Amino acid sequence: MNQLTFAIRQEAARILEENVVDVVIGFEVGTLPLKAQPAFITRKEEAEKLVYNGFCQNNLAAYLTRRPKEERIGIICRGCESRAVRALVIEHQHDRDKLYLIGVPCTGIIDWRKIEREVGENTLQAVEEGDEVIVTTRDGEHRFQRVDVLHDSCKRCLHPNPVGADIVLGDPLPEGDPERAWAPVLEFEALPPEERYAYFVQEAERCIRCYACREACPMCYCTECFVDHTTPRWAESMITPSGTQAWHIIRAFHQTGRCVSCGACERACPMDIKMTYLVDKLSYDMVQQYGFEVGASDEEQPPFAAFTLDDRNRFVR
Amino acid sequence: MYKVLPKTDLPKLIGRWMEQATVYAPVRQGDFTKFEPLSDPAQADLYYAANTRYPPKSLFLPQSEVMFRVKDGEFESTEDEVSSRVILGIHSCDTRALQLLDGVFLTGDYQDPYWAKKREQTTLVVLGCADPCETCFCTSVGSGPFDKRGADVMLIDIGDEYVADVRNEKGQALFGHLPDASRKQIDKSRQVQAAAAAGMKKPFETEGIKDKLYSLFDSDFWPKIQQSCLGCGACTFLCPTCYCFDIVDEAQRNERVRNWDTCMFRIYSQEASGHNPRPTNTERVRQRIMHKYAYFVELYDEIGCTGCGRCVRYCPVDLDIRQIIRSAQAWEES
Amino acid sequence: MNDTWTPRIVVFQCQYSLYCEADQKWMDTQLPPHIKLIKVPCTGRISPLFVLNAIQGGADGILVSGCQPEKCHFKEGNLGARRQLDEFRRFLTYLGMEEERIRFAWIDLSERGRIQQELADLEETIRTIGPIRRLVTRAIPVGEKL
Repeated sequence: MNQLTFAIRQEAARILEENVVDVVIGFEVGTLPLKAQPAFITRKEEAEKLVYNGFCQNNLAAYLTRRPKEERIGIICRGCESRAVRALVIEHQHDRDKLYLIGVPCTGIIDWRKIEREVGENTLQAVEEGDEVIVTTRDGEHRFQRVDVLHDSCKRCLHPNPVGADIVLGDPLPEGDPERAWAPVLEFEALPPEERYAYFVQEAERCIRCYACREACPMCYCTECFVDHTTPRWAESMITPSGTQAWHIIRAFHQTGRCVSCGACERACPMDIKMTYLVDKLSYDMVQQYGFEVGASDEEQPPFAAFTLDDRNRFVR
Repeated sequence: MYKVLPKTDLPKLIGRWMEQATVYAPVRQGDFTKFEPLSDPAQADLYYAANTRYPPKSLFLPQSEVMFRVKDGEFESTEDEVSSRVILGIHSCDTRALQLLDGVFLTGDYQDPYWAKKREQTTLVVLGCADPCETCFCTSVGSGPFDKRGADVMLIDIGDEYVADVRNEKGQALFGHLPDASRKQIDKSRQVQAAAAAGMKKPFETEGIKDKLYSLFDSDFWPKIQQSCLGCGACTFLCPTCYCFDIVDEAQRNERVRNWDTCMFRIYSQEASGHNPRPTNTERVRQRIMHKYAYFVELYDEIGCTGCGRCVRYCPVDLDIRQIIRSAQAWEES
Repeated sequence: MNDTWTPRIVVFQCQYSLYCEADQKWMDTQLPPHIKLIKVPCTGRISPLFVLNAIQGGADGILVSGCQPEKCHFKEGNLGARRQLDEFRRFLTYLGMEEERIRFAWIDLSERGRIQQELADLEETIRTIGPIRRLVTRAIPVGEKL
């Protein structure tokens, strides 16, 4: 057991015992070796179930808007989760007083797809050992450098350290490099328009509209999503190019200035559709146009909610 | 009747079928395979390790199916658009699923003409699983890696050849001209089949599962296990036995279509009045599990799950149906 | 460019943005058939989905006409629209659409005849870049009305 897991269990047990919170949201060992499961701990004795490692692939902040309003929640927060919590509090989706944030500086999530691409689909066991990930399959042991198999979003991560946490377990990590973070957006932008569109079409056409991306996202909390509207129907309901492209464009657009770049959408997708390149562009623009970054402060409204007369006037020539 | 086919002759055979029918087989797309109509026999990727990502039920119940069109105020049928097809390399679990869905679409007072037509026109050349995955659990739900029910032909890989167990006339039409398999080859194929099934784990017991689930209907079990469920449709859309659909008029296209729908969505059970009989995720998760392991058993005397493991592998939160059934069986009311 | 081809244009117009009655009347009654007018209570009402729907349906150009920033009937509807639609245009450009296809016209009190000018300019631009090819997913046949 790693030290962080131990520290998390202790802290979870303490806040449950001292009745600071009603539930602690964390991770427990999953049924598949390359994935951990979200866990909901309500009793001190159960805190022993909690684990923390690179296989914890979900953004736990997605559960906050699903829990009963009156519940006091303790939640394991990595950089992205803590910024999602801030954004949710700013958008009045949660009461900060009812939350207890257990901050954990994050060294990145291991992408099970990258591992399975190399070793095939029958993983029996997977462990992290320092900078290495050791995966045992039916045909033996495979070793990976951790940095090679991190999820793309984690490789680009700007803020691995939690913000505004009530307690931080583990040592702070160096902040990410903006140049590396925005490189994919700039590279994509440099492609000729037909290539950009071809890539978008090729990704969107695999969509099966299961909306796992939406559900896994901490910031997608609308009671009724635009695709669920039936009167009037805003987007085609079918898996035709119209329907899937509209879904990908508008879903991304609704995240403008709200996306925390955790990559949970991409990890959740059962069809391996790339979609962070869409929202990253919007996040990049928000930084460029309005100097806004999600979770940077605990009161600044996202750009589309805050607008002023002084906006640079690009509409008028 | 057992026939034998050297593996090297398979492309030639596929080519022969392609002259008369559309042949579907798993085709690699990035990191996964999907059933696609072949334009070249070499495209077929029969050695895909796990199941195809997208379930082959889509070949019979397409995710978006046009039911009819309206043109200049007249109805236009789309029913005649199916021609003769061969599906090659479908696994037993997916074949079983089609058979279970026949119960839904073809029995009772109403038959679904769209489904019936496609079923009639299709020959299933099943490839048995010599090497089932870690996430497979077909043996736990009353099936197995070489379950022949529903197959027109079952191919068994015995190394350099396939032994083809030809089950009926449809299969005969495709394989009849091949030489018969020798005693030795048939024995070898039996060994392969036995070894595959024996190597599989049994994650849960299904005995009494229907009654157990009925007894848990109002229990605290569901609120507890649903907590981690995000309410997306990945499990149901990838499931080979989920068949719910929603009929929509796409006015801009002048079409009436039916799209896959899933009980995991809030709007699935939302009524026009605004009332929703399954208001929270708890009822929706319960519905999904109980439909497969209780209601389906009640209606058709079979478990409505074939153990393909797709929902297990691709659930974004690793909410594992094997674990749910296991904990349901072990659940004691406190 | 092919002379027989006429670009199809969709105009989203805030109902308060044309102060000149003659201009509004012209918009309401005398628009040529290849231009479709969609009046909205305020530019703030224009969801990016409206714009996307027009483009997917085969509009070659889109004009958004609204009030000057400080003259919104609803005080700040156009300020929100300005941020959103401007970004949406940039986003569609990122996905391969030509930026010039979406044009904004913030029209002031004294600008009589400006809307006609804007439409003419947009049509001119669209003629040079040609029919829309990317992001159109259910185009209606050329020549048919929108």
